[in-house]
Amino acid sequence: MKASSERAGTLVVHALLIVFAVLAIAPILLIVVNSFKTTPAIFEHPFALPTADTFSAAGYERVFQRGHFVDNYRNSLVVTVGSTVATLVLATLAAFALTEYKVRFAPLVGGFFVAGIMLPIRLGTVPILKTMISWGLMDTLTALVLVYTAMSLPLAVALLMTYFRSVPHDLKEAARIDGAGELRTLSIVLPLVRPGLAAVASVTMLPIWNDLWFPLILAPSQENQTVTLGVQQFVGQFLNDYPALLGALTLGAVPLVVLFVVFSRQFIQGLSQGIGK
Amino acid sequence: MRRAHYRYFLAFTLPALAVYVLFAALPLLNSMYYSLFDTDGEVARFVGLDNYHYLFTNPTTSERFWNALVNNLEFFAIHLLVEVPVGLLLAALLTSGRLRRSTGLYRTLLFIPTTLSVVIVGFIWRLVINPLWGLVDYPLLGNENTALPTISLMSVWQYVGIPMIFLYAALLAVPNDVLEAARVEGAGGWTTFWRIKFPLIAPQFGLIAILTYIWTFNGFDLVFALNGSAPGPNYSTDILGTLFYRTFFGSSGQLADLDLGATVASVIFLIILVITGAYFGLLHRRLRSYEL
Amino acid sequence: MRALRASVALVAAAAVVLTSGCSPSASGGDSGKVVLTLGSWRTEDLAMWQDEILPAFEKTHPNIDVKFSPTNTNEYNAAIQSQVDGGTGPDLITCRPYDVNRSWIKKGYFEKLDGKPMLDAFDKLALDPWAGDDGSPYCLPTAAVLAGFFYNKDIFTELNLKVPTTQDEFLSVLRAIKDNGKYAPLALGSAESWQLAYNGLYSIGPAYWKGEDGRQGLIKGTKKVTDPDFVAAFEAFDAWKPYLPKGSESLKYADMTQLFALGKAAILPDGSWDINQVAVGNLNVGVFGPPAATAGGERYVQEMPDMAIGISAASKHKAEAETFLAWTATPEFLSLYVNKLPGFFSMGKEPVTYTNTLAQEFADLKQGAKLTPRLGLDRLSAGTPPFDDEVWRVLQLMYTKDLSAQDATAELQKGLSAWYEPQK
Repeated sequence: MKASSERAGTLVVHALLIVFAVLAIAPILLIVVNSFKTTPAIFEHPFALPTADTFSAAGYERVFQRGHFVDNYRNSLVVTVGSTVATLVLATLAAFALTEYKVRFAPLVGGFFVAGIMLPIRLGTVPILKTMISWGLMDTLTALVLVYTAMSLPLAVALLMTYFRSVPHDLKEAARIDGAGELRTLSIVLPLVRPGLAAVASVTMLPIWNDLWFPLILAPSQENQTVTLGVQQFVGQFLNDYPALLGALTLGAVPLVVLFVVFSRQFIQGLSQGIGK
Repeated sequence: MRRAHYRYFLAFTLPALAVYVLFAALPLLNSMYYSLFDTDGEVARFVGLDNYHYLFTNPTTSERFWNALVNNLEFFAIHLLVEVPVGLLLAALLTSGRLRRSTGLYRTLLFIPTTLSVVIVGFIWRLVINPLWGLVDYPLLGNENTALPTISLMSVWQYVGIPMIFLYAALLAVPNDVLEAARVEGAGGWTTFWRIKFPLIAPQFGLIAILTYIWTFNGFDLVFALNGSAPGPNYSTDILGTLFYRTFFGSSGQLADLDLGATVASVIFLIILVITGAYFGLLHRRLRSYEL
Repeated sequence: MRALRASVALVAAAAVVLTSGCSPSASGGDSGKVVLTLGSWRTEDLAMWQDEILPAFEKTHPNIDVKFSPTNTNEYNAAIQSQVDGGTGPDLITCRPYDVNRSWIKKGYFEKLDGKPMLDAFDKLALDPWAGDDGSPYCLPTAAVLAGFFYNKDIFTELNLKVPTTQDEFLSVLRAIKDNGKYAPLALGSAESWQLAYNGLYSIGPAYWKGEDGRQGLIKGTKKVTDPDFVAAFEAFDAWKPYLPKGSESLKYADMTQLFALGKAAILPDGSWDINQVAVGNLNVGVFGPPAATAGGERYVQEMPDMAIGISAASKHKAEAETFLAWTATPEFLSLYVNKLPGFFSMGKEPVTYTNTLAQEFADLKQGAKLTPRLGLDRLSAGTPPFDDEVWRVLQLMYTKDLSAQDATAELQKGLSAWYEPQK
């Protein structure tokens, strides 16, 4: 009796998750499937699989002919990974300091950081552009890394502060009594906030990869073009060439999905090593 | 020790502060400052709060502002009421202990929409709900009453992975011995969840709610990708982010207005600041009382 | 103390590395070639510029290398403004017509073109949409677009229909197609409100407000939007409503084009720029112009100055930019451009022949018709609420919420009277 209700419960859990997973994935497959069809077939039967008549990979051919996907991927990877790592390192140091040291103006500094989440960053475009020009960083990936790091820090610091607060005091004191320096103490508590780091990394990464505005303003040249900007140009260019457009959209989305799949393993390891056990 | 504290504090915060101040805080302040000026002439002229006065008294600008604010509240409410509960359900299912190796697969599949760019999300849903080619006969995006809820739900579809992953992390962090004790006492999955796990992850909801608030009040991308910078019908999908963009940068039929745009941004900032400040203030006080 | 010092040193070192290591690649330093960038909102033209037009220019100007760098039209104004205000931006800027360009002129984005010989290729009228308040030209016209109707000739033959020339004929054609029931009469949706104005009202309306008479009348303040002529134009637009396809409220421009291109709709109110998207496969497409208000009445066609190019005041290579701009005034460029890009029409004095039949059909519409640009973009959109945006909004409301022509025009007049001096 117990076993069968147990099994029924498991079935319900699977059934629910399958429903949600289909809801999440089916619409995306729609794009991928249609990218292998001809334009009339896309619109007349959007939900049909390509048949011998309607199958066409010509969209991808055109995309590869005109696109610079290898360069675009490299640029996006450099910018996304660079900014995410920089954000994590700087935010960890700052959040540790903000929660650890009882300094009178700490709440002020914390508030100053958090305030940054509340403004649309596009507001600062022109001054940012001017800064980059005067630093000689115009049209470089470095400019993007700096802006994205600056823009991600507020949320990263705010989130990591909540994780650092949950670290037991005794642990740090024990480390200090053992003669560890402050940096060493930080590295001892770091494994405890690993889930936090993973969460921060994932929320930092997504908007950076998908941002269109700053690549357009700060690094518009062909050599520095990111995937999102490259794809956006296709969207205009193939305004009514739907197979190519869908092909470009698919190609633009794949790396971040892969990045997340690879990264989510790390994330889970972090979770189980951190607090779970 | 106190002197040392100051030094460590500075040393650890300085790198982050430097980057943040130079490439975010100063540029933003620099632009916000224009809300106190009239930039129309050759030289910017200090006008005090005139721009704010204009924003709230000009019949057109004030109507658009209040409309965008109300729309934004609706946009936020739908996220809070749909995205967070669904995220919780998914996180609870993933950590129900009834899955073995499939957890990772489900988690990844459910998170994939979150990684997409809004261009794809817009395209997907426009095709699916298109009255000509899609599954829904009713012109959801063409009706003033349904357009905004429809776009909000598209956004929920995309971002439900975020509360899911936060709550999932919190649920995994529930100590095993607590769960073991519950099991020994014969509590079922349902009881264990509501009596034990839920209270333990409850503090997460405050954080998620406030983040959702901040994100939706800074929302822009999806509405812009779907409906451009004067989002219709009849501005029914206009939110503060698109209002700011349209005012600050102009649209095809409207000229850019730097100072009024900066004014709009400053007002959005205040709206977010008041709520967020209250939240963190409360949190801070509560933490203090815990420590005592 | 050590920690703090280390941190300061780290930040300083990072700054040094950043500024020294990444100096921007000097533009075209080698071989003395000057690189010019040309900003545009026409991402779809990238291939044409790269493969056809720029090689033709570079053949005769080997020391100038022009790069076409387009930005999606939705982001174009924002990107150009941010770039120029920040101190960068392309050497050659594609200019939006009328009010937007006037504000750009006022902010000093462009070099003056006064007295340059290249201007001789154009009439004053053609230069006007890009002139400053002082009347000086700042951008050189590239192309105009026309509005009209694409129709599916096979459907017209099948249903035994004649191309309509008056509003009454137009409506009876629509009724006949609707009664037949096999095809959608009009491929028109209201999700994108701009095209309700640009391809709808601004195309058929001039027949009622008498083209330039009405438009200039609004600008000068001698006419009001609530005048019977304007109300009649809005009523003519309203008369299409029963013939809209299913779910038209949420159909986008791309959906309409597809509906027509798939042979499922008989008539598509559109702009000439869409020729290549509409004439696909073996679809038998023709073009007709906006109907006259009454039989034997005057015909009007919307000819919209669409695109011009100006020299950025911040360019470091103004002489070369001028050389390129002057080249765009030559018959060589103009005929190359309009024939590679059917649906765009030369604004120069020299007549140009169009090899594309639909483009030629569009060009023929101008004969015997009075020409007028879009109603709302000149002067009337330089304040709050901008007239053009308001027109989009009320037209959408007419189709989605049954706003009447009377109420729509009254609302527009109220908006205009609120800020536009001549209308106060």
